[in-house]
Amino acid sequence: MLKTIAAAMLMSAALVGTAYADGGKVTIVTSFSKDVTDPFKAGFEAANPGFTLDVQNKSTSSGVKYVDETKSNNQVDLFWASAPDAFDNLKGRNLLVKFKPSVTGLPEKVGSYPVNDPDGFYFGFAASGYGIMSNDRYLEANSLPKPVEWGDLVKAEYHDHIAIAAPSRSGTTHLTIETILQGEGWDKGWGTLKGIGGNLQQVTERSFGVPDAVNSGQTGIGIVIDFFAFSAQASGFPVSFSYPSVTTVVPANIGIIANAPNQPGAEAFVNYLLSEKGQAVLLEPAIRRLPINPALYEKAPEGFPNPFKDPRFQSMITFDSDVSKKRTDVVDTLYDQLISFQLDNLKRATKAIHDAEKALASNDQPEARALLTEAHALIASMPVTADEAASQQIRDAFTGGEQKTARQAELEQQWATFASEKYAAAKTKAEAALALID
Amino acid sequence: MNVSINKPALSTAAKAISISDVNLYYGALHVLKDINLEIKPGEFFAFLGPSGCGKTTLLRLIAGFNTARNGKVVIGGEDVLNMPSWKREVGMVFQSYALWPHMTVARNVAFGLEERRLPRAEIDARVQAALALVGLEKLADRRPSQLSGGQQQRVALARTIAIEPKVLLLDEPLSNLDAKMRVEVRRELRELQQRLQLTTIFVTHDQEEANTVCDRIAVFNEGRIQQVGTPMDLYEKPANLFVANFLGTANILDGRVIGSGANRTFEVTGAGSIPIPPGTDVPAGAKLVFRPQYATIGYVQPGWVSLSGTVMHCEFLGATVRYGIAVGTATVMIDVPFHSGAGLLPIGSPTVLGLQPSSALWLAE
Amino acid sequence: MAFVASMPTRRFAAKPGQVIAVSVIALFLLVFLIIPAGTVIYTAFTEKGTGALTVVNFIDFFNTDLFRRSFFNSIYVSGMSVVWATVIALPLAVLTTRFDFRGSLIIQTLGFVPLIMPPFVGAVAMQLLFGRNGTVNLILNDWFGIRLPFMEGLNGVIFVQSLHYFPFILINLSTSLRNIDRSMEEAAQNLGSSGIRLFRRIVFPLAMPGYLAGASLVFVKVFDDLATPLLLNVKDMLAPQAYLRVTSVGLTDPMGYVISVILIVVSIFAMWLSAVAMRGKDYSTTQRGGGGLAKRKLSRGESVIAYGVVALILLLVLSPHIGLLLLSFATVWSFSPMPDDFTMAHYARVFGESSIYIKNTLIYASLAGLIDVVIGGAIAYIVLRTKIIGRRWLDWAATAALAIPGVVLGIGYLRTFYGITLPGGTPLATLWVMVVLALAIRRLPYALRACYAALQQVSESLEEAAENLGATKQRTIRRIVLPLMTGGLLAGFVTSFSTAAVELSATLMLIQSNSDAPIAYGLYVFMQSPAGRGPGAALGVIAVVLVAVCTLLSHYVIERRQRAIGMNK
Repeated sequence: MLKTIAAAMLMSAALVGTAYADGGKVTIVTSFSKDVTDPFKAGFEAANPGFTLDVQNKSTSSGVKYVDETKSNNQVDLFWASAPDAFDNLKGRNLLVKFKPSVTGLPEKVGSYPVNDPDGFYFGFAASGYGIMSNDRYLEANSLPKPVEWGDLVKAEYHDHIAIAAPSRSGTTHLTIETILQGEGWDKGWGTLKGIGGNLQQVTERSFGVPDAVNSGQTGIGIVIDFFAFSAQASGFPVSFSYPSVTTVVPANIGIIANAPNQPGAEAFVNYLLSEKGQAVLLEPAIRRLPINPALYEKAPEGFPNPFKDPRFQSMITFDSDVSKKRTDVVDTLYDQLISFQLDNLKRATKAIHDAEKALASNDQPEARALLTEAHALIASMPVTADEAASQQIRDAFTGGEQKTARQAELEQQWATFASEKYAAAKTKAEAALALID
Repeated sequence: MNVSINKPALSTAAKAISISDVNLYYGALHVLKDINLEIKPGEFFAFLGPSGCGKTTLLRLIAGFNTARNGKVVIGGEDVLNMPSWKREVGMVFQSYALWPHMTVARNVAFGLEERRLPRAEIDARVQAALALVGLEKLADRRPSQLSGGQQQRVALARTIAIEPKVLLLDEPLSNLDAKMRVEVRRELRELQQRLQLTTIFVTHDQEEANTVCDRIAVFNEGRIQQVGTPMDLYEKPANLFVANFLGTANILDGRVIGSGANRTFEVTGAGSIPIPPGTDVPAGAKLVFRPQYATIGYVQPGWVSLSGTVMHCEFLGATVRYGIAVGTATVMIDVPFHSGAGLLPIGSPTVLGLQPSSALWLAE
Repeated sequence: MAFVASMPTRRFAAKPGQVIAVSVIALFLLVFLIIPAGTVIYTAFTEKGTGALTVVNFIDFFNTDLFRRSFFNSIYVSGMSVVWATVIALPLAVLTTRFDFRGSLIIQTLGFVPLIMPPFVGAVAMQLLFGRNGTVNLILNDWFGIRLPFMEGLNGVIFVQSLHYFPFILINLSTSLRNIDRSMEEAAQNLGSSGIRLFRRIVFPLAMPGYLAGASLVFVKVFDDLATPLLLNVKDMLAPQAYLRVTSVGLTDPMGYVISVILIVVSIFAMWLSAVAMRGKDYSTTQRGGGGLAKRKLSRGESVIAYGVVALILLLVLSPHIGLLLLSFATVWSFSPMPDDFTMAHYARVFGESSIYIKNTLIYASLAGLIDVVIGGAIAYIVLRTKIIGRRWLDWAATAALAIPGVVLGIGYLRTFYGITLPGGTPLATLWVMVVLALAIRRLPYALRACYAALQQVSESLEEAAENLGATKQRTIRRIVLPLMTGGLLAGFVTSFSTAAVELSATLMLIQSNSDAPIAYGLYVFMQSPAGRGPGAALGVIAVVLVAVCTLLSHYVIERRQRAIGMNK
């Protein structure tokens, strides 16, 4: 039946006449905005006459989904996005092919992160670091100092002034979260995350939602990838950016899709992207990404960070992508269940603690102090340990594997209940502390 | 004048209606022209005229759905012209009945009473009484869509009467009924009106309806009242050609007035002349008008005048035979009583018409 | 396409004709709605990992606090949105239809404009105006030291949704109000009723079918809408939960599809409820005698109040567009009541690129609107005027489209049609025609509601009269039913057209290249970067103006046609 309809559709399609470009069309699925893709398209087509670049813009997650859904009859040559884990995902599903770029002499590591996939399935073309973006006007109007470290964001003064993208929605934010967890350790890291969580104004669903909110001044502070802030600055927005000491620089990547209809074109684009000409495009004001080619930094504008020379990048922590990969789903789901979906509870408890601490500062009461310590501990407490998070049982709950002890939905419900009970208890303790002080 | 009727829950007080110098325009269109009208308390009054004559417009003006540029509409001594419809206490039954489909019969009837915030018990009693009055007690819980046309009409009537209006307005109330129902309902309307002694205005284009139920009739044409009077008055003494023609059959003959003073005669074009009785008012451009039953064929009684003509056709109507006689350029209708055994005049034969001068009228447009 | 267009209205001449029409529509819905959606939703009934059939996922759904909370939040937000949408739509509908009100056409058109707010930009503009640090709150804070949480939490969602979706009520209610015979109202006045009471007791109940049609649309639309809550960062509602789970990277989580199933079930239930409420309320008031609508003149005082109310409402409902316009001219707009400076540069930037988007948008949206009106009209006729068994199923199936998230449909299309290749190896799913079909399916419920309302207002006796005079069913439809339904059909077309013109979620999955992309897609691409906000807004303004002009134009054309055949007033 479908075939008959297909035939009918075909007829009408033929009538309408669909023009397709010549064999030189290179199709690329990307999460990058027009500001990024347009200059590259122009540069690539100029450098490789005969080729045309056809850009399909999709969010990273729907891009992965799209490539996966259409693999039976693939029409996409390249996948181009920031988050390395998306490429890992594609690679894991055998949706990428190996390739060896002709461009040589590029560094193997940026910060402590390997630039390219060790198996040669995808390649870093630009570096990105994660950090804290803030709106200058907003901070001034609210008399807030500029935060520089993750720990600053836990402070009471930043309550209700911070935005973050949900790590389950934003590969880059996921890396930020993972960096904090690896840098500070599982328990302390979650303590920091929940401390920040208690100060959040919003958890956005898109990566760009955060810089958008900061740019427009809807929120004062955002946890973002660096180029969002740099390109906003270049567009004239009154925003600042800083790299905290616990952060990492990771590459943004490109990979060739398996069974690419235009393999030569795909290879040409990867080579162009890594070439000096292609790398130079990254420095354009609307893009502002850190090139992977160290030579380019000589042309970079004043104050542009250089991850290859700048000492602060050298001291950054080593990011273990194996550890990250094992617990990706668990970390994201934990963040959703403990912070995103419990935001109101968490914020109420945090506010109560802040109020009590403020009172405590002027009138120290040991009993109240003890209660507040307990409240902090309640908020920071975790339903699973680092080992459990990486265990096969829990991973199988998310993948439907054989060793699962509970379904994902059951785990989620357990964690949500855990969080709401702990937050409620913390709020009670904080209120009790405040009552003692008064 | 409070007339209490046998249904104690409903009472009405007849009011007079006085309309003076009313003019109404739709944009540039002059729809009602210098309307002056007095309707007596308790009178059953008809607005009669062809469609587009302004009769419904005047009715809607009384109901408060149209506004006049000037003039007065006084009901029971109160000028209502600038009063909104909902304060006038003027009940109207719409041509389409306008029953609300989302309410039951009882709710429809109760509506006006509820709007007046009457106590529930009184509302119920009056709804009962109104429905009883029109014989629909048993259908109180039906929806309008479940009723026949005649039943819908009665609900519309009950709904209007329930508010005990000062005046009852009926907009072509019989037009959506079949012929048999029409006769039945109009008799009921008359009875009801008599019992309630309610000043009632009845809009119709059907002279028979107007004649049979109404005390007096106003004949409308082109936005003007042509004549007001009892049905008989209008028939016997029409004020102009339009009225004569609209009510019953009228024979109209062109001609001109010859002579002056007591010796005036009217020369019918191509058919002879008729003396005009002294003192008769003959307006300029007048034509000779007479009813079919006021003439004889074939013979002329003493004192009558004669006109020559030719038999064109004849219709046997039972009690009478109607002949069409060509007189000059016109054809007139003459009714002759039918007697057993009498033969019919052959078509095409020349004949004479006998006409009683006193029954002849000279009317202008 | 060809087979779709040639389909329905022709073949009602006899029973076999009706059967053919039903079969063709059923086939269309099956192929382009049920199968694609089914391939995706099927996941809801499978066990993760093994793929075995199970209902355990639904048990999990009801055992999860988050989902239960989301469920009640969704119901609450949808219900309150209906209430507020009514508060906005009612005065506009009444003033423009029942009163002699200057500028009624403009109000009716402007009142429609909120529906054509493209995704992303609308919420961005609203944030700039009403957000915590938007224009209004910055000014309020300056003057009175207060901030009003317009855009926060569930209330924020209700605020934005009622502003966005009230046109559904406005359009349907206006059509109903216009079709009430004036004598219905006059009879009530004559019996002593006036003003609000008259409206409440007579006019509104008579307009109920239209109101219910609009209100149920608003309810279902809000219930199923994911973009607004997500852009306001409200996640504990059903539709956002479904979206978040369906589109997350990683292995498929059946809960997303479980929620989709629940969305569909609740939507159909709501539609069913409104159908039950409307049962036996065939209030078509044939225009006997005078007929038409009674337009009352407003007194001077009333005029002042009325214009004030209308101006206030329009200002409020058009605020996203005002914000968008400002944004499209703004250089930098950050934490300030107004942009720092104005520029034309954004328009210059999108000028060259937008023509292809505009062309595609017009083609896709008008084709989709056309398909919707044809199929919607046919379904309405079949359901209301024939006794074919299973006709209700067509209605339910078409209505279900309302509840199927765009992404689900998009993925479904990829799964169903990607395997079918055209000569040259291009997959069927990548043809732009599929975008049109997806849009048509997504917007079909809108057109369907409008067609229902229109047909319900055409008294069956008018058709019987035509048949009695010797017209066949087919000719009756063409000569009597269609002309009388024109207003409603147009309303359906305009709704489908204009909302399809700004639809993104399904198209994002199906658009294969920039040359096939509609405006909404171009907007999406622009709005991903700080430098793209201005150009994105400029493109948004172009989209809104374009659709508004088309809408106004079609209103005008139809109005003239109606006048020509003596149908209006």
